[in-house]
Amino acid sequence: MEKKTIVLVAIVAAIIVIAGVAAAFLMGKGESRKVVYYVNVKPNLMESWLEANESDAYIAWEPFDSAAVVDGTGKILMWTNEIMPHHPCCVVVVAKGFLESDQGANLTLRLVAAHIKATEWILDALAHKSEANYTLLVNMAADFTKRSSAVVTEALDHVEYGYTMNASFRDSLEQFTQMYMDDALITNESLNSRGYDSVADFIDSYVNGTYIDDAGTVGLFATILNPTPIRLGYLVGDLHQMAQVVARNTSAFGGVSMFEDYGLDVTPALEGGYAAGGDEMTAFGLGEVDVGYLGAPPAIINHINKNVDTVIVAQANSEGSAIVVSASSDVQSLDDLVGRTVATPSVSSIQHLLLKVALERRGIELVKG
Amino acid sequence: MGLGSDFLNGIDKWLTGHWFRIFLGFVSVGSFVVVWWAVALYLHETGNVLWPYVPYPQDVLKAFFSSFVEPVPGPEVFMGQSIAASLGRVVLGFLLALAIALPLGILMGMFRILEFLGMPTMELFRPIPPIAWVPVFMFAFRTLWGPVAIVFVGAFFPILVSVMFGVKSVDPVLTDAARALGANKRDLFRKVVLPFVAPYLMTGMKVGLGVAWMCIVAAELIPVRGGGGLGYLIWVTSDLGEFSYTYAAMLMIGILSILTTGVAGLIEQKVYKWMGMK
Repeated sequence: MEKKTIVLVAIVAAIIVIAGVAAAFLMGKGESRKVVYYVNVKPNLMESWLEANESDAYIAWEPFDSAAVVDGTGKILMWTNEIMPHHPCCVVVVAKGFLESDQGANLTLRLVAAHIKATEWILDALAHKSEANYTLLVNMAADFTKRSSAVVTEALDHVEYGYTMNASFRDSLEQFTQMYMDDALITNESLNSRGYDSVADFIDSYVNGTYIDDAGTVGLFATILNPTPIRLGYLVGDLHQMAQVVARNTSAFGGVSMFEDYGLDVTPALEGGYAAGGDEMTAFGLGEVDVGYLGAPPAIINHINKNVDTVIVAQANSEGSAIVVSASSDVQSLDDLVGRTVATPSVSSIQHLLLKVALERRGIELVKG
Repeated sequence: MGLGSDFLNGIDKWLTGHWFRIFLGFVSVGSFVVVWWAVALYLHETGNVLWPYVPYPQDVLKAFFSSFVEPVPGPEVFMGQSIAASLGRVVLGFLLALAIALPLGILMGMFRILEFLGMPTMELFRPIPPIAWVPVFMFAFRTLWGPVAIVFVGAFFPILVSVMFGVKSVDPVLTDAARALGANKRDLFRKVVLPFVAPYLMTGMKVGLGVAWMCIVAAELIPVRGGGGLGYLIWVTSDLGEFSYTYAAMLMIGILSILTTGVAGLIEQKVYKWMGMK
């Protein structure tokens, strides 16, 4: 390289470095602002990171909250229902391609029917804790999450199970989408490019309640209807998604699962589950998943921003996430978190979104640590 | 005849000249952008399912410049912060690698026993891609130093190997001649070995720097603290489907890599001048 060029390059390099450092400095200078830092950590690592003081708090779904409490390493600072009461969380999502395939609508209807049956079984078991079904539920949950029954017993009490998609459910999804629009993560332009006029229009077509409405018309079926197994997506050890665990279980129900009751052969799309909703939506986009359980916000943002053609056909749960601080922590409120680091599963997760909302209400910004 | 050959000479001069080279540079980058734009246009116009993944070049450029003045939606970080964070990790990891690989390389090149002692282990570890260390380093060095350690591994081996090879290939005629002229061991090292090794070291440094930049995306895949960095920006924006920003961050890594290699070239020239080689 010629000397002149090199000098020129060096000058440009210096300018960029100075600009970068100056920007970082200016950002740091705004200490009058109240700031909480975030890092993205996989939920199964959060408890150990909290113990190692790598983060001062974390926000995750159950059973990762109750696990820390039962282990004695953490305590709950706040449940997410204190941030947004009865907030929707996980939903059942179906790939458009599957829905529009031969028999797709019929199979979806039956999937929803099995989901309803499993959810009602869970609700009934939770309502009668002295009975055998509750023990069965705890065992299934412990098996699925690979946690002790002490942890899942605690955790199950903090999740609201349900499948209906009422007006407040739709309002909440509109609210989530609106939050993304306020942050410019979703724009009017991107909504339009997907063929939606407005947020309300988007939710109206993205949430399809007809399967829930018609599920009562479906009867049990003695033979399996689908020649190729339906590929089911779910998240690693996510207690919110117990309905799919119950519906897949054969041993507890006389050798026939609830899915099979409705004539469905269902198999996991990924044995062990996906690490985050975003990963599951990517798998949807690649055509590797037909139906899946995941958080509503990652479903929404991936549908809009990444063209992952899916429809929400049922709710799976509401609430059931918490902000956890270490057992010896002096943090008593969100304000005490200022200047500290909170671990979140990913920026696209509902937990990140709810934490951001809660902090913003207190005039605190959530920034990358 | 005279006119014709003048003309041909002119063309020849133009073809090998500075301006033509610059012109070709523009052709190179320009044709890439045109192809990119055409692919984006095709995907967007046909409504192909992949269109969000291939934004138009102008959208990426817009994202690139706006990210310096406005935070990237979602992670809420500025490009400047990301540059500072990544640059810090690359420079720190690289300097650590240099500080250890340079003396080690010289020693292994000079003493055969050290070479035979060190080589088997080195050859075992050298082909392991730095990405493979991500899960281990995440626990061993944690969020602040883990990414630096990954850059370190990437930059370490190219420097070590180049230096060792340089020391080993010092022409024995030169050392013999220097000795015959009365050079002591110190002189021999300073006046013969070091100048001979310098070009090898510079090559090793340049390669090491390139690898260091390649490592940063993998390094920032682990939960990092101390600013997100460009690698984090790539991961998080692709998770959120903001691909204009993903490509903007990739572009920035390319630019920074060119710039840091340029700075290394500048240092190289200074070193040669100082050693009286040019």
